[in-house]
Amino acid sequence: MTEPGATGALQGALAAEHAAVYGYGVVGAYLTGASRATAAADWVAHQNARDELEAMLRSRGSQPGPAAIAYQLPIPVRTSGQAVSLAVILEERIATAYLGLVALSTPALRELGALQVRQSALRAAFWRGSTVAFPGLTAAALAAPRRNPALGRQS
Amino acid sequence: MADPTRRALIAAAAALPLVAVSGCNGVNVLASPPRQAADVGLLQAAIGAEQLLVTQYAAVLRGLTGSGAGASAALAAALEPLLGQHRAHLAELRSRLIVPGGSASPAPAARATRAPAVPAAPAAAVAFLRAAEQATAAAMLGRLPGASASLAQLFASISASEATHVPALDDALRDVPGRAGA
Repeated sequence: MTEPGATGALQGALAAEHAAVYGYGVVGAYLTGASRATAAADWVAHQNARDELEAMLRSRGSQPGPAAIAYQLPIPVRTSGQAVSLAVILEERIATAYLGLVALSTPALRELGALQVRQSALRAAFWRGSTVAFPGLTAAALAAPRRNPALGRQS
Repeated sequence: MADPTRRALIAAAAALPLVAVSGCNGVNVLASPPRQAADVGLLQAAIGAEQLLVTQYAAVLRGLTGSGAGASAALAAALEPLLGQHRAHLAELRSRLIVPGGSASPAPAARATRAPAVPAAPAAAVAFLRAAEQATAAAMLGRLPGASASLAQLFASISASEATHVPALDDALRDVPGRAGA
């Protein structure tokens, strides 16, 4: 029996994976050497995650959402630095999408979501060159006041 | 035929929903947003674990700054942001915890004031923190079953952050010259 909301959360994660598969194609095109190899490995990881989500949706009797023909990139990418920034943005969006699975009560879906949030955070930290306190969580989801004034307190 | 007992029962039944509704309103007013009772225990455990990590990082940093060497200063600079993120974890976890007045446990604060024993040599200290990060991240994931949706998301995010600290610690140690002798 499928928990209410599970299909929507799986489709949300799938949409983010579709975008990441497209985006990492762009990322890799602007990188060379070891960075390009890492981007290629991450690209494959997102393809595998996409395939897993599609299989899960089909097994639940749902039609997996299709990839778009093209995506509007969130930032212009013409340099290797911009390509790395795009990879970080893609991973942050992926982590947020998988937190949607963590919010479900079905243990297997919650566990899968947490695993993917971790993998995404590891990839993001590599590309960013630094770590963050709350991968995937938006400022609005956090209650404690942050030192960063851009992140306001939510009441 | 008038039956006072039956009439009283009907009146009581009619009044019940009103009592229940006002009872709900009272709870909502006192603790918004509503929290599941199970979350309190999970939160307290998570807060205790983050407090321990914060004191461990702080103890390692005290040792590094005490030694005064240049390599230690570089390592300390790499550890500072990780400690800052654990403090952010702790603040966020604490903000989710609402303990009724008078029942707050003083135990976590008492634990936090006691300085933990940490290795003095930089390489051993980093290895110690690395193991602590892995253990804390795994324990945080172990709290997912039974947590409310929003708390499960917070635990998963914090666990992921701690997982990224492991390669960050490896990088920090790689940049320390002469670590083989430590």
